[in-house]
Amino acid sequence: MFAARDDAPEAQDGERTLLRRARTGDPVAFRLLFERHSPAVWRFLKDTFRDESAADEATQETFVRAHGRLATLRDEDRLASWLLGIARLVFLETRRARGVHLDVAGEENEGLVEAVLPTPTPEDLLLDRETEALLAEALGHLREERRSALLLRIDHGLPYEEIAQVMGWSLPKVKNEIHRARLQLRERLAPHVGGRP
Amino acid sequence: MSLACREQELDALLAGELAPADAERVRAHTESCAACTHALAWLKLERGWMTQRARRGPARPALSFDALEARLAAAPVAVARHSERATPRRSDWSYRGVMALGAAAAVAFIFFGVVQVRPVNSPEELWSQEVLASGLVQVCVDPSGEAVAALEDRFSACLIASPAWPAD
Repeated sequence: MFAARDDAPEAQDGERTLLRRARTGDPVAFRLLFERHSPAVWRFLKDTFRDESAADEATQETFVRAHGRLATLRDEDRLASWLLGIARLVFLETRRARGVHLDVAGEENEGLVEAVLPTPTPEDLLLDRETEALLAEALGHLREERRSALLLRIDHGLPYEEIAQVMGWSLPKVKNEIHRARLQLRERLAPHVGGRP
Repeated sequence: MSLACREQELDALLAGELAPADAERVRAHTESCAACTHALAWLKLERGWMTQRARRGPARPALSFDALEARLAAAPVAVARHSERATPRRSDWSYRGVMALGAAAAVAFIFFGVVQVRPVNSPEELWSQEVLASGLVQVCVDPSGEAVAALEDRFSACLIASPAWPAD
C-alpha cells in the first residue's frame, strides 16, 4: 500500500536480515538497503526542501550518517522512520546553515474552516502530470513542518507514534497537524476534483 | 465523534492498522454514513496519488550507490584530516593560550560554585542583619518580654523597634 514501507512479514524478515548483515560491515547488504530506501528518503527531502539538488545532497548525507550509526538503531522494524528522522535532521541542519535561502515557509492558515468539498470520483484517481503539478503546488502552500508530518503519513505510511518521534512532537499534536494539513490540501485541490472540466 | 477522529479511524482502516473487529465496525459504519464515505474517498485519493507519484521517482545521481560509496570512502579520510588539524603542535602558542584560558575559566567556575560569595557589607549592616535574624527566630519561638530582654543583653541594643516584636 505504501511506497516506502513494505509491511509484509516476509519483507520485514528480509529487511532485518539485511540490516544485521549491514551492521557487520557487509557492503552488499547496505547497498540493498540503500536501493530500497533511498527513493523514499529522496522524495521526502525533495518535498521538504522543494529543491531537487538540495534533496540530492541531503539524501547522500543521510545515508553517510546512517552507515556510521547503524549499530544505534534499536528497533529493526523501524528502519524507514529512522532514516526519515535522520533525513529531517539533515534538512534542519542545512536550513540553519544556509539561513533564509532554504526557508520554506508556507501558509499558517490557523483559522481554518472545514469547508464543504466535492467528493472525488474514480476518474480523479489518475494522477496525470497536470494533477501532479497541482498537488506539488498545494503541498508547497503548507507550512514545512505540517507538510512533513502529512507526507510521513500519507506518502511514507508511518504510524502516528513514529511521526511523533521523527517530528519531536506529542501524539495529539501530530494528529492535529495532519488533520489541518489535510483540510488545507483539500481546499486547494477541491476546484480540480469531483467533476472537474 | 468529531470529523478529525472519524477521519483518523478511516485513515487507520486504509493503512491496515485496525484490529479485524474494529475494521469491520468502521467499514460497516462507512457504508451507511455519507460523511464517512466522502472522507474515505478523499483519503483514497490522497493515498492513490502518493503511490503513483512514488512510482514515478526520477533517476537522480543521488540515488546511485556508486556516488554514495565514493562519499563513504572519503568520510574516514575527512575524519583523519580533521583530527590532524585539531591536534596542536608544540610551537602552537595560540592553542596553548586558549587552553590556559579554558583551565582558568574551569578553576573559576569550580571556585565560585563551591564558595558562596556574599556581597561585602559595612560592619553596621552585618550587625543589624544578624540581630534581626536572631530576633525573628527568638520571638517566633518564645515571644515573651524575657526573650527580647535576653536578646537586648546579648547585643547591647534596644530591639523595641524590631518589626517582629508585637507592640504592647
